[in-house]
Amino acid sequence: MDPIGHHISQQFNEELEDIRNKVLAMGGLVEEQIKNAIISLVKGNPQLADQVIENDVKVNSAEVAIDEDCSQIIARRQPAASDLRLVVAVIKTITDLERIGDQAERIARVATRLSEVERPKNQYVEIQHLGDHVARMLHDTLDAFARMDVKAAVDVAKEDLVVDQEYNSVMRQAITYMMEDPRSITRMLDVIWIARAIERIGDHSQNICEYIVYLVKGKDVRHTSLEKMERTAQKK
Amino acid sequence: MMHDWMKSGSPWIWMNAAAVSLSIIIVLGLLALIAVRGLGHFWPARVVEQNYNPPNAQALRVIGEIHDTEAVSAESLKDMGLALESDAKWLQRRLIKTGNRDILGSDFRWLLDIYTSESRYPKEVITIERREWGNFYGFLTTIKENGIVIAEGEAAWQETLKRLQRAQEIFKEIRYIEKDEIGDINYGIETLRLKQRRLELKKELTETRHQNIGRERAILQGEYRRLQKTLSTLYKDIGRDSITAIVMNGQIVTIPLSKVVRMYRSNTLNVFQRLGLYFSKMWEFVSDEPREANTEGGIFPAIFGTVMMVTIMSLMVTPFGVVAAIYLREYAKQGVITRTIRIAVNNLAGVPSIVYGVFGLGFFVYFLGGNIDQLFFPEALPAPTYGTPGILWSSLTLAILTVPVVIVATEEGLSRIPRAIREGSLALGATKAETLWRTVLPMTTPAIMTGMILAVARAAGEVAPLMLVGVVKLAPSLPLDDNFPFLHLDRKFMHLGFHIYDVGFQSPNVEAARPLVYATALLLVLVIVILNLAAIWLRNRLRERYRGLES
Amino acid sequence: MSDQTRTHAINMDTLGRTHPSRKLRDETITLQAKKLNLFYGEKQALRNIDLMIPENRVSAFIGPSGCGKSTLLRCFNRMNDLVDNCHIDGAIHLHKKNIYARDVDVAELRRRVGMVFQKPNPFPKSIYENTAYGLRLHGIKNKRVLDEAVEKSLQAAALWDEVKDRLHDNALGLSGGQQQRLVIARAIAIEPEVLLLDEPASALDPISTLKIEELINELKENYTIVIVTHNMQQAARVSDYTAFMYMGELIEFDNTEKIFTNPSAKRTEDYITGRYG
Repeated sequence: MDPIGHHISQQFNEELEDIRNKVLAMGGLVEEQIKNAIISLVKGNPQLADQVIENDVKVNSAEVAIDEDCSQIIARRQPAASDLRLVVAVIKTITDLERIGDQAERIARVATRLSEVERPKNQYVEIQHLGDHVARMLHDTLDAFARMDVKAAVDVAKEDLVVDQEYNSVMRQAITYMMEDPRSITRMLDVIWIARAIERIGDHSQNICEYIVYLVKGKDVRHTSLEKMERTAQKK
Repeated sequence: MMHDWMKSGSPWIWMNAAAVSLSIIIVLGLLALIAVRGLGHFWPARVVEQNYNPPNAQALRVIGEIHDTEAVSAESLKDMGLALESDAKWLQRRLIKTGNRDILGSDFRWLLDIYTSESRYPKEVITIERREWGNFYGFLTTIKENGIVIAEGEAAWQETLKRLQRAQEIFKEIRYIEKDEIGDINYGIETLRLKQRRLELKKELTETRHQNIGRERAILQGEYRRLQKTLSTLYKDIGRDSITAIVMNGQIVTIPLSKVVRMYRSNTLNVFQRLGLYFSKMWEFVSDEPREANTEGGIFPAIFGTVMMVTIMSLMVTPFGVVAAIYLREYAKQGVITRTIRIAVNNLAGVPSIVYGVFGLGFFVYFLGGNIDQLFFPEALPAPTYGTPGILWSSLTLAILTVPVVIVATEEGLSRIPRAIREGSLALGATKAETLWRTVLPMTTPAIMTGMILAVARAAGEVAPLMLVGVVKLAPSLPLDDNFPFLHLDRKFMHLGFHIYDVGFQSPNVEAARPLVYATALLLVLVIVILNLAAIWLRNRLRERYRGLES
Repeated sequence: MSDQTRTHAINMDTLGRTHPSRKLRDETITLQAKKLNLFYGEKQALRNIDLMIPENRVSAFIGPSGCGKSTLLRCFNRMNDLVDNCHIDGAIHLHKKNIYARDVDVAELRRRVGMVFQKPNPFPKSIYENTAYGLRLHGIKNKRVLDEAVEKSLQAAALWDEVKDRLHDNALGLSGGQQQRLVIARAIAIEPEVLLLDEPASALDPISTLKIEELINELKENYTIVIVTHNMQQAARVSDYTAFMYMGELIEFDNTEKIFTNPSAKRTEDYITGRYG
């Protein structure tokens, strides 16, 4: 089912298409922000981190713009059924995307600070790993959104469990470091900060996946179990 | 250029405008002609006295009102055997109303202008409208009481006016007694006769009943004798005074004041007096009864008869037409049969009216009326009661003539009631009949009124069928009076349309009657207009109540 | 501290769902159509309709023009009887009694199932007489009874305050919205069980429309209301249940919130989102 096309009003089609594209564009921007933030940390590149911080303004303004478009559609078109769900889902999705953007900015700020101190031997490989995972998750989420693919969305949501496990192991590792070498505590606290931020990004991605299920299936699967979400997705 | 003009449509618009203007001119011209000719009749004209010296004939003095002027060709005059001394091809001549039909033989005289001389308007000349023999023109000489001269010259005029008033009051009294009181007694006696006859026919005439009737009759006859006595006194009173006057040929005549309707010195009147006289004559015309074979007096019975006949007709045709229309539109199953009936009804309106007259005479008068007489009025036979033309049959005949109009108009009205209104009523639990009575029919009244207006307009103008089923030249009594049962549908009546025909073509005195034809025609038009206006006013009021539904 | 606790408790209350989801199987059923087929001559206008109208709820019929929603509505008070060569199969039960049975008095049925039409159709009488029309049909002549009933109905129709000083003026002098409310007052004056509304606001301006909708919302406490509307937003606003009809068929009948957020049938979805199916 194509939830956007085939309206009698061609303009309505275009408007819905437009906000969807804008969401994807915003998602792309946010994805890049995450990647850059991680790179700036891993490579110790403060210029790249600055760029991420600057670009967060773009993410924020994209949220405002899409929000406004959605209000316009509600006011003018009184969307119903799938259209209504699309608009609602978009509004919620961009909120989460914006939060992800904020997390990326946070990572970048910490990365700037960490670039001035001594770098660990492993070059933050565990963070890079976690970050890549989450970035891929977000990428898949946006893919599922673009294709309105419930199955993909459920798969992505499941990924969050893996992210949580990785996060836990990063945490344990950090605690071990701090106990081994009390001088590293300051730096390790920052690393925990970043891991925490990345983990949050995973949660936001999972939220977006839930919105996709709502958008396509009309069922609210928030605050329920993954199994239920999966069942809903499989239902005709 | 010309092509563009044609294309713009202007010629078409001009043609339409021209057609409309022509119609308006025709209608207005018609009304104007009738009005001028008819209304002019009542104007008290000045009386001219002139000498007339035609060649090969005796010179004479002519006194009278100038009635008409026309140009006549010398040829035709020669053909008439008149020796002319003039070479003129065209000659003016005047029609003088000389009155005095009893003395001069005719009311009018043509005078060629070239032979008249010494026209003057003497102050003393008097015009008398008489109850018999038409107008009198001449000079008053004396006034007499019981044959004895009591005044002469100018004094006689004053005296005459005084005594004329008295005579007219006595005349009114006489007429009241003769017409109303004696009329009532006659009616009573006739009723008694019929009652006795009815009892005889039923073989129920017992001795007591016979005596009772005899007693009642004796009372009525006593009353009649008393009235007769009063009458003879009054006749003696009214015959007391008379005047003598000189006619234009020098003859002296005696005119009893009892025969005078109105007397005036036409040449001394000022404008207001003339106007007063004018309106009094006009009022007489609409409120009085005709005299002199309808050529003089008023036409009140004809107005009354027309209005009454139309009213009865409306009362009969409206319910009948409405009921028929309701059945056709609301209840009958729409199909071939209803369509056929509709076509038949519509064509009924196109049948020539005289055919309805024949039908009315054959069916209503002879068949229905004859049977009614057999069943309900055997006592009056062989004199027919309803088996003769009368106002009821006239009304019924015209009702049949006009019923298609009412049916069509009502159907049209019913079909225009919005479906929503009917459904609204039905949805509240009303049955079809309740919906009809409470909602649909009240809303149809404007259309019904329209139908009635058309029916009235048609009926009031019909004459031909009425001549067969009830109209007479002179009806002895009105169909509505104070004798029980007040409304006498069996009576014959007078009608304005027939009156026009009668006065115009059946009158012995055509010249004198001609203005009356116009005046009556004008009145007929007025009556129809008033009837229509009343109906239209009523319709508009009803429409006002239901406004907002038309959209 | 105790104050804070209470505030907290109140907040919890107001956080509950405003429109609790109703289940059709829990409702009392007033009207029920059973295998209803309707033909105009050869043409079939309604196909096999099975439908239950719950009591004291507002049920809306939506669907494209000519889908048969008005026709179905008119079956409930047998208004279709007035149409020539209209033929009906199946049954409609009003409180478990078939209204198409032979012994049913149609006038009586229409008193129990009132109807309001698309265009306001007050009679060309006074406001008072319009409202009292149905009562007078019942044979009620007592002036006091009539007065009371008229006031009550006009109040129920939220028109009393606007017309109480001119009850004896012609009803055609009222505005369109007032006329429509008058017609509703006229219908409820005879206290029907069901009120059928056939596009009651389609001829009215937005404010009058809202007043009518507000009125419907108030009336549903006492009446079972069925409304046909072209305006989907209106159906969404006023109704508890919505039926979507298409080409004489009942496609879907469900909770209004379900129909307008997540309809089951694709044709419903296409219709309410404005797509060509």
